[in-house]
Amino acid sequence: MRQAGTYSGLLSGGLSGRTGPHSLPLARIKKIMKKSGDDVKMISGEAPILFSKACELFIEELTQRSWMMTIQGKRRTLHKEDVASAVMATDILDFLVNLVSNSSHSMDNPVEVETIATSKS
Amino acid sequence: MVDNVGAGASSDDGGVKLEQDRLLPIANVGRIMKQILPPNSKISKEAKETIQECASEFISFVTGEASEKCRAERRKTVNGDDVCWAMEALGFDDYAGPLRRYLQRFREMEGERANQEKHANIDNISIGGQEKDAPVPSSSSSYRKKQGIRM
Repeated sequence: MRQAGTYSGLLSGGLSGRTGPHSLPLARIKKIMKKSGDDVKMISGEAPILFSKACELFIEELTQRSWMMTIQGKRRTLHKEDVASAVMATDILDFLVNLVSNSSHSMDNPVEVETIATSKS
Repeated sequence: MVDNVGAGASSDDGGVKLEQDRLLPIANVGRIMKQILPPNSKISKEAKETIQECASEFISFVTGEASEKCRAERRKTVNGDDVCWAMEALGFDDYAGPLRRYLQRFREMEGERANQEKHANIDNISIGGQEKDAPVPSSSSSYRKKQGIRM
Protein backbone atom coordinates (compact mmCIF):
# COMPACT_ATOMS: atom_id res chain seq x y z
CA MET A 1 0.00 0.00 0.00
CA ARG A 2 1.33 3.40 -0.86
CA GLN A 3 1.48 6.15 1.68
CA ALA A 4 -1.31 8.66 1.61
CA GLY A 5 -0.19 11.55 -0.54
CA THR A 6 -1.24 15.12 -0.88
CA TYR A 7 -4.18 14.27 -3.06
CA SER A 8 -5.42 11.13 -1.34
CA GLY A 9 -8.11 13.03 0.53
CA LEU A 10 -9.44 14.42 -2.69
CA LEU A 11 -9.34 11.09 -4.44
CA SER A 12 -11.10 9.07 -1.78
CA GLY A 13 -13.48 11.48 -0.20
CA GLY A 14 -13.83 14.28 -2.67
CA LEU A 15 -14.11 14.12 -6.39
CA SER A 16 -13.71 10.43 -7.05
CA GLY A 17 -17.24 9.59 -6.04
CA ARG A 18 -18.64 12.43 -8.09
CA THR A 19 -16.61 12.96 -11.23
CA GLY A 20 -15.28 9.43 -11.37
CA PRO A 21 -11.72 8.56 -10.44
CA HIS A 22 -9.08 10.75 -12.01
CA SER A 23 -7.63 8.86 -14.94
CA LEU A 24 -4.20 10.25 -14.35
CA PRO A 25 -2.10 10.49 -11.19
CA LEU A 26 -2.14 14.02 -9.82
CA ALA A 27 1.26 13.87 -8.12
CA ARG A 28 2.90 12.83 -11.39
CA ILE A 29 1.16 15.66 -13.24
CA LYS A 30 2.45 18.10 -10.66
CA LYS A 31 6.00 16.78 -11.14
CA ILE A 32 5.76 17.29 -14.88
CA MET A 33 4.42 20.81 -14.36
CA LYS A 34 7.32 21.65 -12.05
CA LYS A 35 9.84 20.45 -14.61
CA SER A 36 8.39 22.64 -17.34
CA GLY A 37 10.38 25.65 -16.22
CA ASP A 38 12.39 27.24 -13.43
CA ASP A 39 9.88 29.98 -12.97
CA VAL A 40 7.16 27.51 -12.08
CA LYS A 41 7.31 27.75 -8.33
CA MET A 42 3.89 27.47 -6.82
CA ILE A 43 1.03 25.47 -8.21
CA SER A 44 -2.48 25.61 -6.82
CA GLY A 45 -4.13 22.33 -5.88
CA GLU A 46 -6.69 22.59 -8.63
CA ALA A 47 -4.20 22.93 -11.50
CA PRO A 48 -3.16 19.25 -11.61
CA ILE A 49 -6.81 18.25 -11.35
CA LEU A 50 -7.62 20.35 -14.40
CA PHE A 51 -4.70 18.84 -16.24
CA SER A 52 -5.85 15.33 -15.47
CA LYS A 53 -9.04 16.15 -17.39
CA ALA A 54 -7.24 18.17 -20.05
CA CYS A 55 -4.72 15.40 -20.73
CA GLU A 56 -7.56 12.97 -21.09
CA LEU A 57 -9.13 15.24 -23.73
CA PHE A 58 -5.77 15.74 -25.37
CA ILE A 59 -4.94 12.04 -25.53
CA GLU A 60 -8.40 11.35 -26.92
CA GLU A 61 -8.05 13.98 -29.62
CA LEU A 62 -4.55 12.95 -30.61
CA THR A 63 -5.60 9.30 -30.68
CA GLN A 64 -8.63 10.01 -32.85
CA ARG A 65 -6.62 12.09 -35.30
CA SER A 66 -3.95 9.40 -35.45
CA TRP A 67 -6.57 6.74 -36.03
CA MET A 68 -7.86 8.67 -39.07
CA MET A 69 -4.38 8.26 -40.53
CA THR A 70 -4.45 4.54 -39.74
CA ILE A 71 -7.78 4.20 -41.53
CA GLN A 72 -6.47 6.10 -44.53
CA GLY A 73 -3.66 3.56 -44.69
CA LYS A 74 -6.32 0.81 -44.59
CA ARG A 75 -4.88 -0.62 -41.41
CA ARG A 76 -6.31 -1.53 -38.02
CA THR A 77 -3.20 -1.04 -35.92
CA LEU A 78 -2.32 2.48 -34.84
CA HIS A 79 1.40 3.05 -35.36
CA LYS A 80 3.60 5.91 -34.26
CA GLU A 81 3.87 7.06 -37.86
CA ASP A 82 0.14 7.71 -37.71
CA VAL A 83 0.69 9.91 -34.68
CA ALA A 84 3.43 11.77 -36.56
CA SER A 85 1.11 12.27 -39.55
CA ALA A 86 -1.66 13.58 -37.33
CA VAL A 87 0.73 16.06 -35.72
CA MET A 88 1.90 17.31 -39.11
CA ALA A 89 -1.68 17.75 -40.27
CA THR A 90 -2.86 19.78 -37.25
CA ASP A 91 -1.84 23.38 -36.54
CA ILE A 92 -2.36 23.33 -32.79
CA LEU A 93 -0.12 20.27 -32.54
CA ASP A 94 2.85 22.19 -33.96
CA PHE A 95 4.56 22.07 -30.58
CA LEU A 96 4.91 18.31 -31.04
CA VAL A 97 6.62 18.41 -34.43
CA ASN A 98 10.12 17.95 -33.09
CA LEU A 99 9.02 15.30 -30.67
CA VAL A 100 7.42 13.05 -33.28
CA SER A 101 10.08 13.58 -35.92
CA ASN A 102 12.81 12.65 -33.44
CA SER A 103 11.10 9.40 -32.63
CA SER A 104 10.03 8.35 -36.10
CA HIS A 105 13.11 9.24 -38.13
CA SER A 106 16.24 7.87 -36.59
CA MET A 107 19.53 8.78 -38.23
CA ASP A 108 17.90 9.84 -41.50
CA ASN A 109 19.53 13.21 -41.24
CA PRO A 110 22.85 12.95 -39.46
CA VAL A 111 23.43 15.85 -37.17
CA GLU A 112 26.32 18.06 -38.15
CA VAL A 113 28.78 18.39 -35.35
CA GLU A 114 30.81 21.52 -35.21
CA THR A 115 34.33 20.93 -34.02
CA ILE A 116 35.69 23.90 -32.26
CA ALA A 117 39.41 24.01 -32.44
CA THR A 118 40.81 24.94 -29.13
CA SER A 119 44.29 26.19 -29.34
CA LYS A 120 46.25 26.23 -26.21
CA SER A 121 49.73 27.38 -26.63
CA MET B 1 -5.10 24.99 -1.53
CA VAL B 2 -1.64 26.22 -2.40
CA ASP B 3 1.24 23.83 -2.64
CA ASN B 4 4.56 25.30 -1.74
CA VAL B 5 6.98 24.15 -4.37
CA GLY B 6 10.49 25.33 -3.74
CA ALA B 7 12.93 25.69 -6.59
CA GLY B 8 15.26 23.24 -4.96
CA ALA B 9 12.61 20.62 -4.50
CA SER B 10 13.39 18.64 -7.64
CA SER B 11 15.17 15.38 -6.90
CA ASP B 12 18.17 14.58 -9.00
CA ASP B 13 18.76 10.90 -8.22
CA GLY B 14 22.51 11.25 -8.59
CA GLY B 15 22.31 13.00 -11.95
CA VAL B 16 19.96 10.50 -13.57
CA LYS B 17 16.42 11.79 -14.18
CA LEU B 18 14.04 8.89 -13.98
CA GLU B 19 11.97 8.68 -17.11
CA GLN B 20 8.98 7.60 -15.07
CA ASP B 21 8.98 10.97 -13.38
CA ARG B 22 8.50 12.95 -16.55
CA LEU B 23 5.90 10.73 -18.16
CA LEU B 24 2.35 9.74 -17.31
CA PRO B 25 1.89 6.02 -16.64
CA ILE B 26 1.60 4.14 -19.92
CA ALA B 27 -1.20 1.95 -18.57
CA ASN B 28 -3.39 5.01 -17.98
CA VAL B 29 -2.50 6.49 -21.36
CA GLY B 30 -3.23 3.19 -23.08
CA ARG B 31 -6.59 2.89 -21.34
CA ILE B 32 -7.72 6.34 -22.45
CA MET B 33 -6.64 5.55 -26.01
CA LYS B 34 -8.41 2.20 -26.05
CA GLN B 35 -11.65 3.72 -24.78
CA ILE B 36 -11.85 6.20 -27.63
CA LEU B 37 -10.97 3.75 -30.41
CA PRO B 38 -13.28 1.19 -32.03
CA PRO B 39 -13.37 -2.23 -30.35
CA ASN B 40 -11.42 -4.15 -32.97
CA SER B 41 -8.57 -1.64 -33.21
CA LYS B 42 -5.00 -2.28 -32.11
CA ILE B 43 -2.38 0.07 -30.80
CA SER B 44 1.32 -0.52 -31.21
CA LYS B 45 3.51 -0.16 -28.15
CA GLU B 46 5.51 2.57 -29.87
CA ALA B 47 2.37 4.54 -30.63
CA LYS B 48 1.39 4.42 -26.96
CA GLU B 49 4.86 5.56 -25.96
CA THR B 50 4.75 8.40 -28.47
CA ILE B 51 1.41 9.63 -27.18
CA GLN B 52 2.69 9.25 -23.64
CA GLU B 53 5.54 11.62 -24.56
CA CYS B 54 3.16 14.00 -26.31
CA ALA B 55 0.96 14.23 -23.21
CA SER B 56 3.91 15.32 -21.07
CA GLU B 57 4.90 17.82 -23.71
CA PHE B 58 1.34 19.15 -23.65
CA ILE B 59 1.49 19.66 -19.88
CA SER B 60 4.84 21.45 -20.15
CA PHE B 61 3.69 23.58 -23.05
CA VAL B 62 0.51 24.78 -21.36
CA THR B 63 2.16 25.17 -17.96
CA GLY B 64 4.89 27.28 -19.51
CA GLU B 65 2.33 29.63 -21.00
CA ALA B 66 0.32 29.81 -17.76
CA SER B 67 3.47 30.42 -15.75
CA GLU B 68 4.54 33.20 -18.11
CA LYS B 69 1.20 34.93 -17.54
CA CYS B 70 1.62 34.70 -13.78
CA ARG B 71 5.09 36.13 -14.03
CA ALA B 72 3.87 39.03 -16.14
CA GLU B 73 1.14 39.72 -13.61
CA ARG B 74 3.56 39.30 -10.70
CA ARG B 75 1.63 36.41 -9.22
CA LYS B 76 3.40 33.48 -7.65
CA THR B 77 0.86 30.73 -7.99
CA VAL B 78 -0.34 29.08 -11.17
CA ASN B 79 -4.03 28.43 -10.59
CA GLY B 80 -6.81 26.70 -12.47
CA ASP B 81 -7.91 29.84 -14.29
CA ASP B 82 -4.37 30.38 -15.57
CA VAL B 83 -4.34 26.85 -16.95
CA CYS B 84 -7.68 27.40 -18.72
CA TRP B 85 -6.51 30.70 -20.11
CA ALA B 86 -3.28 29.17 -21.41
CA MET B 87 -5.16 26.42 -23.22
CA GLU B 88 -7.34 28.95 -24.98
CA ALA B 89 -4.30 31.06 -25.85
CA LEU B 90 -2.57 28.03 -27.39
CA GLY B 91 -5.49 27.01 -29.55
CA PHE B 92 -7.15 24.39 -27.37
CA ASP B 93 -10.39 26.37 -27.26
CA ASP B 94 -12.49 23.23 -27.35
CA TYR B 95 -11.07 22.15 -24.02
CA ALA B 96 -11.53 25.47 -22.27
CA GLY B 97 -15.32 25.22 -21.96
CA PRO B 98 -15.51 21.71 -20.48
CA LEU B 99 -12.52 22.45 -18.26
CA ARG B 100 -14.02 25.61 -16.83
CA ARG B 101 -17.20 23.69 -16.00
CA TYR B 102 -15.09 20.92 -14.48
CA LEU B 103 -13.25 23.51 -12.38
CA GLN B 104 -16.54 25.13 -11.33
CA ARG B 105 -17.95 21.78 -10.18
CA PHE B 106 -14.72 21.02 -8.35
CA ARG B 107 -14.84 24.33 -6.48
CA GLU B 108 -18.50 23.83 -5.60
CA MET B 109 -17.83 20.36 -4.31
CA GLU B 110 -14.91 21.53 -2.25
CA GLY B 111 -17.19 24.12 -0.69
CA GLU B 112 -19.87 21.50 -0.03
CA ARG B 113 -17.34 19.09 1.38
CA ALA B 114 -16.12 21.71 3.79
CA ASN B 115 -19.73 22.28 4.80
CA GLN B 116 -20.38 18.58 5.28
CA GLU B 117 -17.37 18.23 7.50
CA LYS B 118 -18.51 21.16 9.53
CA HIS B 119 -21.98 19.64 9.96
CA ALA B 120 -20.52 16.23 10.71
CA ASN B 121 -18.57 17.76 13.55
CA ILE B 122 -21.68 19.44 14.93
CA ASP B 123 -23.60 16.14 14.69
CA ASN B 124 -20.89 14.34 16.58
CA ILE B 125 -21.33 16.77 19.42
CA SER B 126 -25.13 16.51 19.43
CA ILE B 127 -25.08 12.70 19.36
CA GLY B 128 -23.38 12.94 22.70
CA GLY B 129 -26.78 13.96 24.00
CA GLN B 130 -26.27 17.66 24.48
CA GLU B 131 -28.75 19.09 22.01
CA LYS B 132 -31.88 17.14 21.48
CA ASP B 133 -33.41 19.74 19.22
CA ALA B 134 -30.71 19.67 16.59
CA PRO B 135 -31.60 17.60 13.53
CA VAL B 136 -29.42 14.52 13.35
CA PRO B 137 -29.15 12.88 9.92
CA SER B 138 -29.36 9.11 10.14
CA SER B 139 -26.16 8.77 8.14
CA SER B 140 -23.81 11.05 6.34
CA SER B 141 -24.73 9.51 3.01
CA SER B 142 -28.39 10.39 3.42
CA TYR B 143 -27.27 13.89 4.33
CA ARG B 144 -25.47 14.06 1.03
CA LYS B 145 -28.58 12.86 -0.79
CA LYS B 146 -30.65 15.56 0.87
CA GLN B 147 -28.21 18.15 -0.35
CA GLY B 148 -28.71 16.84 -3.85
CA ILE B 149 -25.04 16.49 -4.42
CA ARG B 150 -24.48 14.80 -7.71
CA MET B 151 -22.44 15.26 -10.81
